[in-house]
Amino acid sequence: MKNILLVCAAGMSTSMLVDKMKKAAEAKDEEIKIEASSGGDIKSHIEEADVLLLGPQVSYLQEDYTKQYGGDNGIPVEVIDSLDYGTMNGEKVLNWALDLISNA
Amino acid sequence: MANTNFQQKLQKVAGKISSNRYLKAVSDGLMSVVAVLIIGAFSTLLSGMAFDPYQDFITNIGIKDFLEIPAQYTTEMVALYAVFFIAFKLAGSFEKEGSSAGLIALMSFLVLTPTTMLEQDPVLPFQFLGAQGLFVAIIVGLVSARLYVLIVNKGITIKMPAGVPPTVSKTFIGLVPAIIIVVFFTIISFLFTFTPFGNMHEFVYSFIQAPMQNLGGGFWSLIAFTLVVHGLWLLGIHGMLVVLPIYLSIWMPLGVENLDALAAGEELPNIVNTGFAHVFMMLGGSGATLGLAIIMAFWARSKRYKTLGKIALPGSIFGINEPLIFGLPIVLNPYLAIPFVAAPIASVTIPYFLMSTGIISKVAGAHLPLGTPAFFNAVVQGGFVLLIVQILMIIVTGLIYYPFFRVLDRQAVEQEKSAE
Repeated sequence: MKNILLVCAAGMSTSMLVDKMKKAAEAKDEEIKIEASSGGDIKSHIEEADVLLLGPQVSYLQEDYTKQYGGDNGIPVEVIDSLDYGTMNGEKVLNWALDLISNA
Repeated sequence: MANTNFQQKLQKVAGKISSNRYLKAVSDGLMSVVAVLIIGAFSTLLSGMAFDPYQDFITNIGIKDFLEIPAQYTTEMVALYAVFFIAFKLAGSFEKEGSSAGLIALMSFLVLTPTTMLEQDPVLPFQFLGAQGLFVAIIVGLVSARLYVLIVNKGITIKMPAGVPPTVSKTFIGLVPAIIIVVFFTIISFLFTFTPFGNMHEFVYSFIQAPMQNLGGGFWSLIAFTLVVHGLWLLGIHGMLVVLPIYLSIWMPLGVENLDALAAGEELPNIVNTGFAHVFMMLGGSGATLGLAIIMAFWARSKRYKTLGKIALPGSIFGINEPLIFGLPIVLNPYLAIPFVAAPIASVTIPYFLMSTGIISKVAGAHLPLGTPAFFNAVVQGGFVLLIVQILMIIVTGLIYYPFFRVLDRQAVEQEKSAE
């Protein structure tokens, strides 16, 4: 199973994108778990995540999170393209996230 | 190049601020007590609603007193809840046990709080347990939790003689930080009795909290705050998240003061508070974009913007507008920079003057959670008069966005035509 974790400020707008991504994930053969979280409760979700995606409004957290969770032994920590985020393009973000996992 | 450099630097600073553990403990701690404040706000609003037939009704059937009970033990004691959670969050950020730190902070806070004598009995007045005690709660929460972490890390502990069962010695080890910290604050409390203030609350309130609230509650602070939040957003930084510690620690108590005044049947003191910001500055999210979302969803000519407007509108009603900010986009877009700042400025300025001149009454000051929908929040904060003003502001902000949006819309229509 693949596990995708998204983070934004309060986890609200990200949860809209997560809904779209889940719909896109239903069409895939593999089992994919997608979750939204706010920066505050990231610790309770990060353990099982295979990739950590940040909303563009919190892109400045990338450096910090890469230090904590990324790096050689960690998982990919990337910022979602802002136009994909704004237009809530769930399918594109999902495919990109899956690529990140398989290339990790 | 200089621009991107500046932007990167600013992003770093914003990142530092919003991930600073002390500021984060203050905002996370205050966010933790929002549930307390909401219960209190609804209690006050239900018991204090200024509508005579309703007041007669609840007084006659005798439930007015019951409706007031939750407010007494929530908003009017909010500092007690806050001090616990601020310490809880700070200790947690050092990966130490939050509940011990919270408990110690609560004891320390109470040690600093003066009692008075009522006939023969000592009583604890509510005065410094509510909004007036919030700054002391912040200070004590942070200082006591930091001391707790320090003491635990240093391993300062009581040496038990050999043969004492481990469980017993563990209990005593846990007590050490509590004893040191509470003794420390007891000494401070004692020292304050020699000053003209008599206690730490009086000092902090009159020398720090009241001046900061006066400064922060004024018109120019409102404008400066609006400019900073939206300026940061234009550079792609979540402006509200960066200024959240200031927003919560200054504007939230101002709202609590309004609610207290409402409960006491007095005139509301503060125009600016988190409730005001929620109803007007964040009308549809940062940039007061609800009017823009409506224009896009119903009147955009290009398919691109019409679709985006329809995606964005439902969220916008609940104050979530990332689809507009990143989808239009507004971020780093010179066409929309002006209205993105001008719209919220207009949306706070007009109601501010309607309130300062007494044409409409001030907002009740309830701190409603993120995601409370527009229209509903206005009704809660000020009834149908405020709802009308909010709708007026949707029209005003829509008109501010319209000419700028029309340029983008026309470009998009032409692009769509040439693509066909």
